[in-house]
Amino acid sequence: MQTDTIIQIENVHKHFGKVHALRGIDLNVGRGEVIVIIGPSGSGKSTLLRCINRLEEFDQGSIVVDGIPLDSAENINAVRTEVGMVFQQFNLFPHLSVLDNITLAQRIIRKRDKKEAHEIAMELLHKVGIPDKADCYPLQLSGGQQQRVAIARALAMNPKIMLFDEPTSALDPEMIQEVLDVMLALAKEGMTMVVVSHEMGFARAAADRAILMDDGLIVEQATPNVLFSQPKEERTKAFLSKVLS
Amino acid sequence: MQKTPELEETPKRENGFHKKFKDIDQWWLLVAIVVLLIILLVTTKPDPYNRILKFVGDGIWVTLYTTLISFALVLVLGLFGGLGRTSHNKIIRGIASVYVEVVRGVPLLVQLIIWYFAFPAMVKDLGHAWNIQAFIDYKANPIVMAILGMTVCYAAYMSEVYRAGIESIPKGQMEAARSLGMTYFQAMGHVILPQAIRVILPPIGNEFVTLLKDSSLVSVVAVADLTRRGREFMAANFIPIQTWMMVALLYLVMTLVAARVVKWLEKHSRYER
Repeated sequence: MQTDTIIQIENVHKHFGKVHALRGIDLNVGRGEVIVIIGPSGSGKSTLLRCINRLEEFDQGSIVVDGIPLDSAENINAVRTEVGMVFQQFNLFPHLSVLDNITLAQRIIRKRDKKEAHEIAMELLHKVGIPDKADCYPLQLSGGQQQRVAIARALAMNPKIMLFDEPTSALDPEMIQEVLDVMLALAKEGMTMVVVSHEMGFARAAADRAILMDDGLIVEQATPNVLFSQPKEERTKAFLSKVLS
Repeated sequence: MQKTPELEETPKRENGFHKKFKDIDQWWLLVAIVVLLIILLVTTKPDPYNRILKFVGDGIWVTLYTTLISFALVLVLGLFGGLGRTSHNKIIRGIASVYVEVVRGVPLLVQLIIWYFAFPAMVKDLGHAWNIQAFIDYKANPIVMAILGMTVCYAAYMSEVYRAGIESIPKGQMEAARSLGMTYFQAMGHVILPQAIRVILPPIGNEFVTLLKDSSLVSVVAVADLTRRGREFMAANFIPIQTWMMVALLYLVMTLVAARVVKWLEKHSRYER
């Protein structure tokens, strides 16, 4: 798995004013690998994720996604079409129906015609289990349904990598599982995924690797079972004791 | 949201006529009253009211088309201003901000006078200095200068309206659009502006009504609009009460109708939630 690297992150630094948010991150993600990043708030895990598709600029270091270095405007757009992103707040387009949310980028970026985009959208809505909501508007849906539409919207671009930024943190407890089920199915299909989430159950079931970040650095990484049950670092132990209790 | 039991026990009886009447924006009644008043005045007392109406009639059209042309240009130029004001590029944002601040700080009447009197004089001076005959012969067209003056001034106000609209859309919308691979302009055109326009429709309508009224200022730069025609009629006949009542009623009809149209647009542009 490590032989075929799809994301290469080398010595990435990021400052927000005086705050040194990322302090030299090195991380390689293999094709088809599922990585879960955990860590306290402010540890830089969301920032790292947002650097991968350049929603956040970094000050130093390099990130190469599927052979494309993130340095020029064209390259950034090229990478963004290969990388799907799912946000904590869903960020669906409220003025468009569910179907139009999923077809918009297909039509203007992938240049698919209306019929083809429509068919792909319906297929994906079946996949995430809500084909009957195609004509609804986002704000008529529950949070869990909205997040599933957001996943379908990202998948419609046929990304090679999916980034999830705390996808279940804004959801009511009873809706978390329906979103995790979709993500689990995606992981089983071999999608490369980088997930910022504290859903330990999901991490154990789907992730190849779990990473603990703190204070802008990767503190420890291992398979989820090892990291959660036998952490080596004191900081990992302290964090896990708070999350698991 | 849960309905309270009392509301469910007493369903409102709304039969056809009653419901239809409620659906109509009741402020149209005021428009009808003002129109009726004008008709009543013109038919019952043709002298002087019909004479006034006939005299100032062409001024109504001048007022309407200078306003409409300016406003169409304001919507476009204001959009550029608004995009400039929200730009992450410091130079673009700086230029847009200076434009807005300078133009907002000078009264429209003064700006119109500058465009019609000072600007052509400047062109002529330049013509003499550089020896360009076309510049020396330059003569300002009052209508063009009036439209230009109103456009430049109101586009600055409109920039701020657009800016407020764009800034009211959560940052996540732009991020989601960009993360799907859209360019800045694609994201603006397909995602941000369609939402922002709905937010700013009321202030846009407000700007239109204000521009319609402020267009009376062009009467000082040789444009024969409704106000100027009113002044000409008064100078010839000296019946100020009747003349200005008629002119005021005509402005009122136009502004009231414009306000209703904006209301209608607002109602029909809401998206379902």
